[in-house]
Amino acid sequence: MRYMLGQIFSSVRFRIGFSIFAFILLTVLIYPLIITEPPLKTISRGTFLSPGIYVNVYDSIGFSPQYTLLLDGAAERRIAAKLNADDRASMKEWLVKAGLPEESIDTQDTAALLEVWHANFDPTIRLPGMTNADRNYYIRLNTALDGLLATEGATIAVPDATTGALKEQAVVDQTSYVNIYEVPNSRVFPLGTDNFGRDVLTELVAATGVSLIIGFVAGTVATVIGLLLGLISGFLGGFVDDAIIFVTNLFTVIPSFIILILITFSIGQDKRGAITIAVVIGLTSWVWTTRAVRAQVISLRNRDHVNLSRLSGHSTAYILMADIFPYIASYVVMAFILQVSSGILAEAGLSILGLGPRTTEVPTLGLMMNWGMIYQAHILGKWWAYFPVILVIALITFSLNLMQTGLDRVFNPTLRE
Amino acid sequence: MKFSRLAVIGLLLGLLMAISVAPAAAQELPRNETLYFNGQQWGSVVGWNPYSSNNNNAMAITQADSARVIMFETPYLYNMLDGQVYPLLADGPYTWNDAHTEITFKIKAAAHWSDDTPVTAHDVAYTWATHVKYMTPTGAGNVDYIEDIVAADDSTVVIKAKLSDDGTAVNPLIVQAYVSTNYVIQKAWTETLEARANFDATALLADTAEDVVYSGPYHGYFWDESKVIYIRDDNYWGQDASMWGKLPVPKYLAHNIFADNAAGTTALKAGEVDVSQQFNSNVQDLWLVDGLPISTYLPEAPYGIGASLPTAFYNLNSHGLDNVAVRKAIAIAVDYPTIIANAMTNQSATFEQVPRSLMNPTAGEQAMYDHAAVADLQWAGNDIEGAKALLDEAGIVDTDGDGWRELDGQPLRYVATCPNGWSDWQAAIEVVAAAGAQIGIDITTNYPEWSVYQTVVTKSDAPLPEGYDIFMMWSDGAGPTQPWSRIRKLLSSEFIGMTSNWNGNWGGYSNPEADALIQAIPTVTDEAQLKEMYTELVRIYLTDVPSFTLMYRPQSFHTVNESVWTNFPYDGDGTNPPVPPLDMTDGWGIAGLYNLELVNP
Repeated sequence: MRYMLGQIFSSVRFRIGFSIFAFILLTVLIYPLIITEPPLKTISRGTFLSPGIYVNVYDSIGFSPQYTLLLDGAAERRIAAKLNADDRASMKEWLVKAGLPEESIDTQDTAALLEVWHANFDPTIRLPGMTNADRNYYIRLNTALDGLLATEGATIAVPDATTGALKEQAVVDQTSYVNIYEVPNSRVFPLGTDNFGRDVLTELVAATGVSLIIGFVAGTVATVIGLLLGLISGFLGGFVDDAIIFVTNLFTVIPSFIILILITFSIGQDKRGAITIAVVIGLTSWVWTTRAVRAQVISLRNRDHVNLSRLSGHSTAYILMADIFPYIASYVVMAFILQVSSGILAEAGLSILGLGPRTTEVPTLGLMMNWGMIYQAHILGKWWAYFPVILVIALITFSLNLMQTGLDRVFNPTLRE
Repeated sequence: MKFSRLAVIGLLLGLLMAISVAPAAAQELPRNETLYFNGQQWGSVVGWNPYSSNNNNAMAITQADSARVIMFETPYLYNMLDGQVYPLLADGPYTWNDAHTEITFKIKAAAHWSDDTPVTAHDVAYTWATHVKYMTPTGAGNVDYIEDIVAADDSTVVIKAKLSDDGTAVNPLIVQAYVSTNYVIQKAWTETLEARANFDATALLADTAEDVVYSGPYHGYFWDESKVIYIRDDNYWGQDASMWGKLPVPKYLAHNIFADNAAGTTALKAGEVDVSQQFNSNVQDLWLVDGLPISTYLPEAPYGIGASLPTAFYNLNSHGLDNVAVRKAIAIAVDYPTIIANAMTNQSATFEQVPRSLMNPTAGEQAMYDHAAVADLQWAGNDIEGAKALLDEAGIVDTDGDGWRELDGQPLRYVATCPNGWSDWQAAIEVVAAAGAQIGIDITTNYPEWSVYQTVVTKSDAPLPEGYDIFMMWSDGAGPTQPWSRIRKLLSSEFIGMTSNWNGNWGGYSNPEADALIQAIPTVTDEAQLKEMYTELVRIYLTDVPSFTLMYRPQSFHTVNESVWTNFPYDGDGTNPPVPPLDMTDGWGIAGLYNLELVNP
């Protein structure tokens, strides 16, 4: 056993695959111990918040110590955030269309530009060739320019409880800073939020766990069925073999994904839990295991030690388990790994078609992709809502396939180095 | 070498032949004469028969509160922004007689059909007669309220209301809505159709009617499974000074048939769609992030004018949902701001801005009830403590310690549902389910396919089956009979027992007091009295909570890309009467087609 493990781990492919898989598995196990929030909890009001650190504005003004930092170029950056080169050019375009001489407008001198702008801009005017979208843009820009060049701080005021009159509470200077770690409320979204306003990373970790379980259950069901049918059919031969191979051939010619779609659709959404889906996937993907196991068993069944066992009066079950199974065990393990990986892919495929597990209970990788697509994350460029999911699916299947080929190199004599 | 050259020449020749035999319409339409749409037509067009409701030809045939009038026309056009109707085929406003039992209006002298024959009062009368004779959906929906429509002379139409025993009209609201909701169809063509169908109702409604005569500015030009194109009739009567005085600007209206919303959004972003009638999530990103020349009717959230009230109905036969405390507790616990911000991506007014009632957010309807009188009953949601207190007070508590409350020893366990793939509804239902968990009521979600869902929900002659405890449906939008018709469909018990109930009150609510008010309102003309009655209905609705509104939704989504065309309607565009944001095809919205301009003429 120890020798075998040493053999397996000497394969570079297996080591890489195993490391990736172990990393994913450990993350799935450890992450929920640190972030205990339920993965399906809606946290943000507003969809697809981009990845970043979110700091409570109210707290950072009133409840955190403030520091004065004198950073070069702070004012320029502040202005540039609201008024970039394109905006300046657009302002010039508007002013020129409104009849001002082009040379009188200097887009680089912010103060001068704003002065001309404020003196001339009228949101009610619709210049020739200007669309409503342009008009909206200029009105938004005009609002953003308000107080752009101010040098004094902003005053925070609270309404008086009885009179309702505003009472000055604090002044926030332009040079005031807070230390993020001293603000009582802040939240990191390494992968932003999704269309429901859920934390994508937390959901992704939970979904990976569920998808692994689905893959494991599907793989187990498929391998057990495939193995049993293959053993029986290959060993017994005759009518039993014909019957099993007839059914197997039937399932081979009909694409299994089609059967899968038909079965899941007919189950109905209310009965589609994650485990149900996993079992259905398993029930439709045992065919190749059966064929391969049968082929192996046929080559084994007339070996001397099997005949000897037969002569000794051992039962068929005993022979299958003790004399045949050990010879094909390594193959079965490899087939199982591939079944797990294809089970995860099948769930993702089903969920993207809207035929995955029902949604309120657990997240799965496929469901995350499905909702991302429904809310058009891929069109709106919200990469964090779908790309990490694709990456995780790819990494899981990649690592499992690597482990499988690594094993193959160890167990398959023709490939052995 | 030689072979491949031959092959290339052969291929080119083949292509050339293919192009030359393809129908003219399949070729590229001139971009600056074509207005492209999305979100109105799904699947290929089946027919052009204005009597039938199975044409799957939404752009050409949609008879509704704001009827779609690009091909067939109604006597009047409804304007959802000011609540008025404006004459189209009709000449001047309609008049009620003194007894309020008959409507009279004239047909414009200039109005003529596509075959150049004049539109007459006889056409209007025969259209009605046909609807009744063959019991079309229009006939069935109006026959209880309209006695007859007759032609007093060639140009004068008289609509006679059905009278109740006391000699007053049964429902004058529905009678007057007829003039802006239903098309006028040519008598001569209808007679041809009847003869062709052998006077058989089924055959008549199944006829695809490609020879149909119409009076509107556009007609079918090309249609297949990928698109439908309508071309302008340059002989359109409406260019007469008595109507528009000119032709609508685009020569072609084209609607590519997209697979789903995502495909539609991609085309809108690429400038291949000018007018988008579909839910584009986070629509503001299209201009704020992508900087595209795209805009909506309002520049800021909610981006459109809310007109309908997508609503969660309670199945009043489910265990515990017959208890008003349970119904109200769930309704006040729901996190509506999250539904609006996340499911609708802010394309709905919030319940802080427009407190819940039975009215849509338009100013006209909001003025129809006394806000102060029901302020105590209105809720904005997220009231978990209030909901818990309400349940505790009613004695509905968790007695067996499993975390879920019980009523009469049975746990409160519900399925909340809506059709699969209706993304904003599904996301809203998820939020409803989440509220249940917070107040100790177990709510799970389920999304059947629409084909199943609609059959189950609209079957009102038997209790709803398991799995339909809380379910989402729509309510009426803006129209000439509103808010009365919406209220009727939310509260009236008259729909209980219908085998096919496409009206409302699917949960089976019954309240004689509400029924009496709904019955009385159509004949009331005194505004103060009306307001009092509407306020009372709002009070009943918010007290009994037979259903609850989850969001406000625009009549049509109206997002435009100004890459090619501009001067689409927008809030404050200076049009008078104001052109509503109805994609320039519905009701008075069609006026927008006459104002369009090219960005680069």
